[in-house]
Amino acid sequence: MTTISAAPRLASRHHIADLQRRFPLLQIAALAVLYLIGAATVPGWTTRSTLLSMLVMAALLGLAGAGQTIVVLGGGIDFSVGAFITAGGVFITELPSVDNWPVWAAIALAVAVAVAGGTVNGVISCRLRIEALVVTLGVGALLSGLLTGWVSGAVTGTPPAWTDTAVSVISDTFGLPVPPIVAIWVVVAVVAGIVLARTRAGRSLYLNGTNPVAAKRALVRTGWTWTAGFIVSALLATFVGMLLAGEGGGNLDAGDPYLFQALTAVIVGGTMFGGRGDYWRTVLGALILTVVSYLLEAHNYSVGVQEMVYGLLIMIVVAAYGRERRIRDRV
Amino acid sequence: MTRFLSRFVRTKPYAFALVLMVLLLIANIVAQPAFGNPSNWPETLAIFAPFAIAALASTPAIMSGGGGIDISIGPLMTVIDMIIVADLLPHGLGSPWIVVPVCLVIGAAVGALNGTLVTVLRFQPVVATLCMNFILTGLATQIEGTTTPQGSTWWTDDLANSFGPVPGGLITIAVVLLIWLVLSRTAYLRNLYATGGDDATAFSAGVDVTRVRILAYTTGGLFAGIGGLALMAVLREGEAGDATMYTLVALAAVALGGTAFSGKRGSLIGTLFGAACMYLITNVLSAAQVPDTWTDAIYGGLLLIAVMFSAGLANATQVRTT
Repeated sequence: MTTISAAPRLASRHHIADLQRRFPLLQIAALAVLYLIGAATVPGWTTRSTLLSMLVMAALLGLAGAGQTIVVLGGGIDFSVGAFITAGGVFITELPSVDNWPVWAAIALAVAVAVAGGTVNGVISCRLRIEALVVTLGVGALLSGLLTGWVSGAVTGTPPAWTDTAVSVISDTFGLPVPPIVAIWVVVAVVAGIVLARTRAGRSLYLNGTNPVAAKRALVRTGWTWTAGFIVSALLATFVGMLLAGEGGGNLDAGDPYLFQALTAVIVGGTMFGGRGDYWRTVLGALILTVVSYLLEAHNYSVGVQEMVYGLLIMIVVAAYGRERRIRDRV
Repeated sequence: MTRFLSRFVRTKPYAFALVLMVLLLIANIVAQPAFGNPSNWPETLAIFAPFAIAALASTPAIMSGGGGIDISIGPLMTVIDMIIVADLLPHGLGSPWIVVPVCLVIGAAVGALNGTLVTVLRFQPVVATLCMNFILTGLATQIEGTTTPQGSTWWTDDLANSFGPVPGGLITIAVVLLIWLVLSRTAYLRNLYATGGDDATAFSAGVDVTRVRILAYTTGGLFAGIGGLALMAVLREGEAGDATMYTLVALAAVALGGTAFSGKRGSLIGTLFGAACMYLITNVLSAAQVPDTWTDAIYGGLLLIAVMFSAGLANATQVRTT
């Protein structure tokens, strides 16, 4: 008797879960509700300047989380994102103004370091079968340590003027009334969306993340796919670091807060380890986190409370749909 | 002799750290003769203790396998330090009969919560402890407020120096090792190794994997409670910013001590040797007048070398046995 009445309920629950898996309904609803709460309780919330400064913050967070999304989809995790952001900022700040390098050379060096670092991350973790978390933690510490040693503890240069323009709320992009960083974010999101969903590289990444053994059988170049993810992640992080230089002045700890926040954006967005999710979810995650932090700040909550709320947010989201398989199902 | 040595290195995961530690100890005494003077030991051990205990506390979660890791150990120690300095001492609750149980209970409770998130709610260990990391860091910042709270009392000062002839740092480390020794007399450690080796097989063999994992995180939290006490004794203040550094150093020490992050091999004593190596390296470098700004680079480099060495060893033995 009970089974008959329970069956349709179960089916509808499965239906919603299935929909959520295909489309980030919950995140869109959460974002809308949070934004409306802000509009109702915070004066000046809907003004253009507030909106743009929110978008700039979300863009930085979202770009920092783009690489992490790719690595997480492939089944890894990248803890060196913060160090690469710092590296981008330090190179673009220090080399042109203190050591008189041309800007293109500073960018070239930063790109070379990112490619080298990403390769080390990918190759060591793949070949020696070491957890990516530990390898990237080591590479990150090594890189930020080398930067600290190189500039003897403090960055003295000034970043080029265009880094400031890129993240400034009042600047526009070729006549469009949005700051360049927001335009860049849109382009990156569209490109990442297409590459992940429609190209061979993207499908290889999902396959490798879901089941590396099956991927190998399906002639995916697993080692290369894995390593490429880390290289892209390092490159994007370096790029974010360069843009951030205008705001943070190329600090030696400029990247630190972005490591965990970007990871939070990925997880809150609904991308989980090993082939579940996409970059659009991270975009939503970055927007949600930004709105939450603006809300808390507007209501005078401290940084401490903000961090606790981030922690609870991840907990709620992961509990809702990001859980692992039961051990009794894996025997 | 060489065969004995190669066997020793292969079968004992901590051999590399042990040899390195002895070499570094000699290097330290040569570089600065004052290091070998027993009157300096209490201070040295007091500084070493929080550092070593952070690493020891990170080990059980990693040994429990399944990607197990606890990146909230550093913030947990900071929060406990902060609670003693900002909440207990100013309210006249400085007696060891109050402070010590409070530390242990908070530590174990947070550890148990981590373990529950990982096993019962089936979170990825990194994600679960990342949440906890956020919450604890936020809590520490909240308690700290605008001014850095400071304070100490007679017995915590002794803990930072020595109780009669016994250095305080030695006591806190010894308590951790003693708890582990007692646990290793029970089925706990065997079950932990079984779970870490292959959780599905352990489950099929009747091991209560959920309980073993929760216990592993709880033990780590308990150790972090002791570590918070050791940290408070030596710092005498609550500084919320210190937490992140401990995570990296602790994981590097675990890797150096020969514990595999896959959970398949490892030991607590290896972690202690690993932590000693990390500490002795910074010490000998500062004696050689290498600027502080290079410390992070050296930690990172060491972590990489250690995991590569340890993995190379593990892969080599695997090939031999199969």
